[in-house]
Amino acid sequence: MTRDTLTPEEWSQLRLERLQTTLNRAYRNVPFHQNRQNEIARKTRRDPSLIEDIREIAALPFMERKHLGEHYPYGLFAVPLRDIVRIHTAPGASLNPTVTGYTRQDLNLWREVVARALSAAGVTPHDILQISLDFGLANWGRDYKDGAEELEIGVIPNAPLSPDKQLMVLRDYKTSTLVTTPSEAGHLADLMFQAGMNPTATNLKRFILVGEPVEADFRNLLTERLHVETWVHYGLSEVPGPAIGFECAEHQGLHLNEDHFLAEIIDPVTGRVQPEDEIGELVLTTLTTRAFPLIRFRTGDRARIIPEPCPCGRPLVRMEWLSDRTDDILTVNGVKVHRDQIQSRLARALGFSPDSRYFVTKHPGEKKYLEVWIGMEYSFFSDEIKDLEKQVDGLVETLRENLGVPVRIRLKEKASLADILSESGI
Amino acid sequence: MLRIKNLRCYYGRIMAIKGVSLSVMEGEIISLIGANGAGKSTLLEAACGLLPSWKGEIDFQGNSLKGCDGPAIVRKGISLVPEGRLIFPPMSVTDNLKLGAYTRYRKRQHAEVARDLEMVIDLFPILRERANQPAGTLSGGEQQMLAIGRALMARPRLLALDEPSMGLAPLMVEKILDTLQLLKKEGLTILLVEQNAQAALKIADRGYVLETGKIVLQGNASDLLSDVEVKRAYLGKDYEEFYEGRD
Repeated sequence: MTRDTLTPEEWSQLRLERLQTTLNRAYRNVPFHQNRQNEIARKTRRDPSLIEDIREIAALPFMERKHLGEHYPYGLFAVPLRDIVRIHTAPGASLNPTVTGYTRQDLNLWREVVARALSAAGVTPHDILQISLDFGLANWGRDYKDGAEELEIGVIPNAPLSPDKQLMVLRDYKTSTLVTTPSEAGHLADLMFQAGMNPTATNLKRFILVGEPVEADFRNLLTERLHVETWVHYGLSEVPGPAIGFECAEHQGLHLNEDHFLAEIIDPVTGRVQPEDEIGELVLTTLTTRAFPLIRFRTGDRARIIPEPCPCGRPLVRMEWLSDRTDDILTVNGVKVHRDQIQSRLARALGFSPDSRYFVTKHPGEKKYLEVWIGMEYSFFSDEIKDLEKQVDGLVETLRENLGVPVRIRLKEKASLADILSESGI
Repeated sequence: MLRIKNLRCYYGRIMAIKGVSLSVMEGEIISLIGANGAGKSTLLEAACGLLPSWKGEIDFQGNSLKGCDGPAIVRKGISLVPEGRLIFPPMSVTDNLKLGAYTRYRKRQHAEVARDLEMVIDLFPILRERANQPAGTLSGGEQQMLAIGRALMARPRLLALDEPSMGLAPLMVEKILDTLQLLKKEGLTILLVEQNAQAALKIADRGYVLETGKIVLQGNASDLLSDVEVKRAYLGKDYEEFYEGRD
């Protein structure tokens, strides 16, 4: 059953059925959800799983990123391990990574979701689709590969290639569609011009941009420089998965896959559900996911539901995905990095918690990277430059491996660290 | 076609169906599966007017079934093939079939009823051979055919079946299910309640898994058919093993 073939009443019934099933399964199979629902039942004397209207979900508590780490590794799985066919790890908000699982049915779901989004972007079996995503978005790489294969599109799967090799593949393998992050797209565009590669001499005609919101100016720049059309997809990087929202040919907001996800926009401070058309934090509930149900998951992404119907005629509601976040998570090339996690990793590696600052930096001609400034401590100091370099290299490697993003570390005089930051306007 | 929303059914103070929502679209075969005591038959009884009271909404073709008794629901187009067949053993096969058209005689549809009797007998040729035999002398499979035939005599738009495979040999189960597929092709909508999950899902478009009065799984029948959880739900196995190795 698809939205296109259902009346509004049937559509509303379908979503209610799926929500009730999700809540029943979460309650039955996941102690975390069971305890929280029991808590509400004690307070309100009403079984929260007996939701009679989809809007009543607002009575349930939020799930946050910290919960994913607290129940490491399998505490939020709603199926036995033997039903899991894929396990994925992503950097979490704490020392523990986020571990998610997929059942065979979940893989089918993501295949369908991604295929739908790629179809909307006009990708067909005549296309060659290349995936170029950072290590931290490896699960999306697999989902895009599966979704493209579902449409019988020729896929060049995600691989850890150097930028030069990526360009070579893009040119020689006649890539027509590139799935990548906006940061990577900008970087590749720079490299193409540096290498003297004429974009019109390649087969490239569209970018599927994922992982970060995209500014209109940047899209225009890509279109002008590379003569490509850009399509934005929205997804969750730590938990499954990509293309929860996708653009149609109108490029006026992202259609949400409402048959599989329930979206709410909340006030990030009060937690109250915002009226339609108001900007707030996007909260997602999965309606069909088997292994890893999310119930009112706070994404930290700022968004607005667009109430008007789309000129394309698709009945799926649209959202506007806005830059900036409602939490203090950093996004590096589409990968979410939590400040607490950086600090915890540094403390574990150094044996003490240093005074430090973190931000995302981008230099012309380079990809974005996580820049970490550390205030020097006596215990960390060495009069041997080689020793210091070795320590810094070790820290870079630790952070890169655990966060899944490129990292650079700069050592600063501790006393003046705050002043430097202040002068830099950071 | 049939829309059940937030259905709650009680036996005394015990809630047997706990806020179930389920829908059957025109032309579909929907399988409702689950272990013994999950509430499948109760749900069917509510939809067929056999429960004195329930809460929630049940609509058929846009009209509420609230307050409708069994005969009224049959007139609206839903026929039930009850669990255990419940044929009338001393009566002949033909009389059992004619009883299925009880609500139509009052509308003076005698000619149509006679035609439908022929149609049912064509569908189950064995019933022609047994036409004058007391229904109680039929085999289990033949009785099931008679029960389905009797339900069809009411000319339903939706045929609801409660455990039609119960107590039948595998070959007979296959025959009954083949007949249901044939009826679907002819435009009949079917709600099939079964413990035999594998058999039911094989012919269904979509399925729902009911457990202790709640829907815990649903989806396309082909997806559910390959789902190990369905087997578990069907067998009603303990879920303690879910937590093994997770902490």
